[in-house]
Amino acid sequence: MTMERLIAGLLALAVLIAAIRLILWHRSAPGASALRLIALLLLQPLCATLLFLTLYPPPVAGGSASLRIATAGASRLAVRQGGGLVALPEAGTLQGAEAAPDLATALRRHPGARQVSLLGEGLPPRDIDAARGVQVSYDPPAPPTGLVSLTPPPAAAPGEAFTVGGQIAGLPGASIALIDPAGRVTDSGVPDKQGRFRLTGTARAAGNSLFTLRIMSGKRLAAQAAVPLTVRDVKPPRLLLLAGAPGPEVKYLRRWATDAGFHVTSRISVGGGVLLGDAPISIDTATLRRFDAVLIDDRSWAGLGGQRNALLAAVRDGLGLILRAGGPLDRTTRAQWRGLGFALSGNNVAAPLALPKPPAAAMARTRQGIASADMPDDMRLPADFIPDVSRLALSPAGDQAVTLLRDASGTPLAAWHAAGLGRVALFAGLDSYALALTGHGALYDDWWRALLRAVVRPAPGSASLPGISWAGERLILCGIGGDAQVERPDGAGAALQQVGACAAFWPATAGWHRLHDKGAATPFYVQPADALPAMRAARNRDATLMLRSTAPRDGGISLPTPGPAWPFALAWLIASALLWWFERSRLGRDQPTRSTM
Amino acid sequence: MSADALLRDWIAPSRRRRFADTLLLALPLLFAIAAISWRLAGLLTTGVLLLGGAALALVVARQRAARHDRVWLIRTLDAARPELEDSSALLFSPIPPASPLQALQRTRIAARLDQGTPQDLAPPWSRRPVIALLLAAMLIVAAALLWPRAGEGPPRLAPSEEGLPATPGLPRLIAQNLRIVPPAYTGLPARDSAKLDARAPLGSRLEWTLRFDPDARMPRLLVVDGQALPLRRDGDNWIAGRTLDRSFLYRVDPAAGGGRTPPLHRLDALPDNPPQVKALGPALTLVKPGQRSWSPSFAATDDYGVAATARLRVTLAIGEGENVTFSEREIAVSGSGPGRDRRFAPSLAFSSFGFSAGGDMVAQLIVRDNRSPSAQEVRGPSVILRWPSARAPESSGLEGMVNTTLPAYFRSQRQIIIDAEALLKRKRSLSADRYLARSGAIGADQQILRGRYSQFLGGEEEGEPQLPTADAEGHSEGDGHDHGPPQAKPAFGAPEDVLASFGHPHDDSPASSLDPETRAILKQAVDEMWGSERELKQGRPDLALPFANRALRFIKEVQQATRIFLSKVGPELPPIDPTRRMTGEREGLASRTLDVTPIASSDGPAAAAWRALEGKVTPDLDPLERWVRANADRLPDPLALTGAIDAARREPDCASCRTRLRGLLWTAMTRPTGQPMRRPPADAAGARYLRALQGAAP
Repeated sequence: MTMERLIAGLLALAVLIAAIRLILWHRSAPGASALRLIALLLLQPLCATLLFLTLYPPPVAGGSASLRIATAGASRLAVRQGGGLVALPEAGTLQGAEAAPDLATALRRHPGARQVSLLGEGLPPRDIDAARGVQVSYDPPAPPTGLVSLTPPPAAAPGEAFTVGGQIAGLPGASIALIDPAGRVTDSGVPDKQGRFRLTGTARAAGNSLFTLRIMSGKRLAAQAAVPLTVRDVKPPRLLLLAGAPGPEVKYLRRWATDAGFHVTSRISVGGGVLLGDAPISIDTATLRRFDAVLIDDRSWAGLGGQRNALLAAVRDGLGLILRAGGPLDRTTRAQWRGLGFALSGNNVAAPLALPKPPAAAMARTRQGIASADMPDDMRLPADFIPDVSRLALSPAGDQAVTLLRDASGTPLAAWHAAGLGRVALFAGLDSYALALTGHGALYDDWWRALLRAVVRPAPGSASLPGISWAGERLILCGIGGDAQVERPDGAGAALQQVGACAAFWPATAGWHRLHDKGAATPFYVQPADALPAMRAARNRDATLMLRSTAPRDGGISLPTPGPAWPFALAWLIASALLWWFERSRLGRDQPTRSTM
Repeated sequence: MSADALLRDWIAPSRRRRFADTLLLALPLLFAIAAISWRLAGLLTTGVLLLGGAALALVVARQRAARHDRVWLIRTLDAARPELEDSSALLFSPIPPASPLQALQRTRIAARLDQGTPQDLAPPWSRRPVIALLLAAMLIVAAALLWPRAGEGPPRLAPSEEGLPATPGLPRLIAQNLRIVPPAYTGLPARDSAKLDARAPLGSRLEWTLRFDPDARMPRLLVVDGQALPLRRDGDNWIAGRTLDRSFLYRVDPAAGGGRTPPLHRLDALPDNPPQVKALGPALTLVKPGQRSWSPSFAATDDYGVAATARLRVTLAIGEGENVTFSEREIAVSGSGPGRDRRFAPSLAFSSFGFSAGGDMVAQLIVRDNRSPSAQEVRGPSVILRWPSARAPESSGLEGMVNTTLPAYFRSQRQIIIDAEALLKRKRSLSADRYLARSGAIGADQQILRGRYSQFLGGEEEGEPQLPTADAEGHSEGDGHDHGPPQAKPAFGAPEDVLASFGHPHDDSPASSLDPETRAILKQAVDEMWGSERELKQGRPDLALPFANRALRFIKEVQQATRIFLSKVGPELPPIDPTRRMTGEREGLASRTLDVTPIASSDGPAAAAWRALEGKVTPDLDPLERWVRANADRLPDPLALTGAIDAARREPDCASCRTRLRGLLWTAMTRPTGQPMRRPPADAAGARYLRALQGAAP
């Protein structure tokens, strides 16, 4: 306001000075026509007024109360019916539509719009906030068909199995395949009735790779999407292996953990105080703090005595604990393990275990990687006979515990439960070593890795990264430090302006980006702008549908918005030209004169 | 001469001529067809076609000859011989002339007929068609034999596809041919490949024919990971040859290192697979009644051919229980069917093998393929023929013994009771002597049965009960009964047979493993039998019956007892008491460390290059290539990887080459085991929450 008044004052002052000067000049100039003076005196304030109105055009009341917004996929037929159309960039160029960079701009241009009717797929996340201020009417199009949801796997450790989940819609009889970076099918399946699916792949060494999800409808490629996978090196866990007696199970566990590069300390009791394994250690709080996980069987659990409290205290401080049954449990152990949160309901006997059907040999090979030099390749494929693996009929799952592993019949095989900052897991399988001996080494590794992963002592992680982001769409990076930077695929860097612990980033190109923060680089993948169209459409559609149900946030007054300035500017230009010409002309005077403006 | 004989005489020459003429026409056609089919389809088809064609020609010739019949003869004679006055029909008519006028005319004509010979009527040789056909056939045969085959004659060069820009002054490969001559035993024809990449059977001869422009001075074939192969000049072309002893990559180097490096070519050696043998019948069959021989059948398949003869290994297992003798012999068998899928169904006569009841005959086919120089030998699955023993099926262990021995005893005891009852019923009709004799005979049966039970119990019940009198003999050496041969003193250190040194076993019977209760019942049964036997032998079967019935009851009791005794459930071991472990002598026992060495798993260079290829950096490919060479047998496709490495090295800026190399490196990495992803630690609020869940103070 003050600026407006200042301008107005300045203009008025200028007009006054000009008028005084005109009058003085008129007096000193004999023979000048009074009519000319009057005309000049009238034209000066007119010019000033017009200039002021050009700068501050008078607010217009209203305009149309409803606005039609064309979003992505707006049909040209629907667009033509009626006027007042604004096209967002996603809609492309539409004839007869006013182009607006986003919805907020369109609403600013049309201040009277109280209602917005949307055409097309719906509003992108950019416009959702702007749309909360108006009444949104939205007639949603048919739900998109294709891959409407994709959940890429989180960062994996080297060699870990990962799961890709997703949902497809409108493609009956579709089959889905996961293609590994070498172009081989590593898993395939069909979706369930709701169209959901889960496929499994395996990681290799640390690095970034792109798997491909391929959805075939009959022989036709219905959709294809890149599934980014980041594999990060992890610090090898420090594992304490406690066994009440030597046996094949502990032998193969020790072999597995050692080959995986863990720092393994094993203590196998053979009775009478004689211990085998590594250098003996005492089990107390200080020692247990050095370990990330403890794997203990029921016999050494029963023989722990007073050290049990130290172990449980260490678990509450973050240590992971895996309980393993070596056979039917005795009553005390069963009660104690129940106290840790496991139901242990059922018979205390060994029961048969339904092993999952191994994948076809060609698919199994794509999940295995090359053989090690010590083991022939055919030993890694399942043997003809079924290994003699069983489980305890006591079910580890309960209402408190989270089921971790199930056998092929769906019976829980392992579960975990939080205990303070740490976690306790219970494995009910017996003689799992037989898997390692009969070519089911991958399953053995999956089971024990899942158990260890569930409980192992947590380690400081990195920033939380968005699930799926597209080129050209704002994404939010959280948990970052002050000097975080994003490295683009072409190697150029972009500094992040941090607000709170988060920052926004607009990726311009698709590909692997790197978030450099606190000395660590966290890669994340940005999908191309045209990737996953169905998923994007479904997201926009759902978000817009949710808008429809919320009432407009109509508390504040709508600002008076200025009307168009160009008529005043034109009038000012004409008036000024007239004034200039009138001053320069000899009309009404008899001597040469100078311009007063 | 009858009319028929006359007719035969007159038409025979014409028929012969027509027959021979038709065959002469067919002959060139057959030759031509045979030559073409031999060239296109092989000897067998040619034979079949020749036979079929010859048969067809014979049929056609016969039909054409048969046209020279009576009607033809009459017409021909009437047309050619005016002196016959159109009356030759009278001569050849089988019906004698009806009127005298006809007979007169016939006689006249018959005299004139012999003025000409039947040979005059024979149709002329169709000279022109025969000559034309012969010429055409000769042309066709010559063409069929001389038409050049692929892989024979001078090679035809195809334009090269090296994709290199022409550099003035530097020789460049412009045309190429690769001739592949597979080993003779495969039976595959030689072929020419227009490309320098090929797949060929292992052991094929490879011959390159290359042309350069401008002409090269010392071109070579550079084999990756092998010796360079110099090219020899052959007119305008350059040639080289080599045997395909393994898959390899190579490139044509026209300018001895000058100019850009040409692309790699790949030659895949397809190994000869060993034959596959499949048994066509079930793995185990039983001998049918009346069967005298057995013919197991096998199918053997191979990619190039199975040898016509194979060996059949026949293993005989004859005997039962522990007394089984094995004999093995191999016989030569010959197969039938085409070389790639031969059937072997030898017939094995039982008599020639000495195969009899209770034996097993196991047959296994050992086949070879026709690979040279060294044939591959494969043993097929074994099929078994079992001739079940005529005896009752026997099971193992004590259960079997009891099952086979005791029921026989039961039947006997029951039989004795039935016999005794029958004797009682017939008492009136029999004389006293006969009655006594019959009763004595049943008593003798009872004695045998009692003796067998006594034997089962260790012979302690043998003989009559001893009188508790002083004349019972002492047990000493030389007391009349057998004590077995004198025992040799055991050698030092040998486990001493304490029982043998201090006595001899009396209870080395199967029943010594019975529990005392069962033994007692059996003894009671034997006592009752003894009573029954006594009464029977004295001719009192009515008095013997209660004893016999009691004996049967006791035996039944034992039968039930032994059923319990012979439970088939596995041993129920007592639970382990860990507190008793290691409580015995513990000298020299102490804790010790068990070393475990992690296995070495290395994909270092592959993983490093894979990571480096993600960025813009070109990794150092030399260590990677060395690693690929060293670990070729672990990699799924080392040649493709080597080729991709070479492509990436030649064009470091080629994005698709880098992508391809990165994809292939994915297949060349190990999958590390074990390592788990760690969850991020809980923040302050989370930690408080988790502790509160546990019930601890936050």
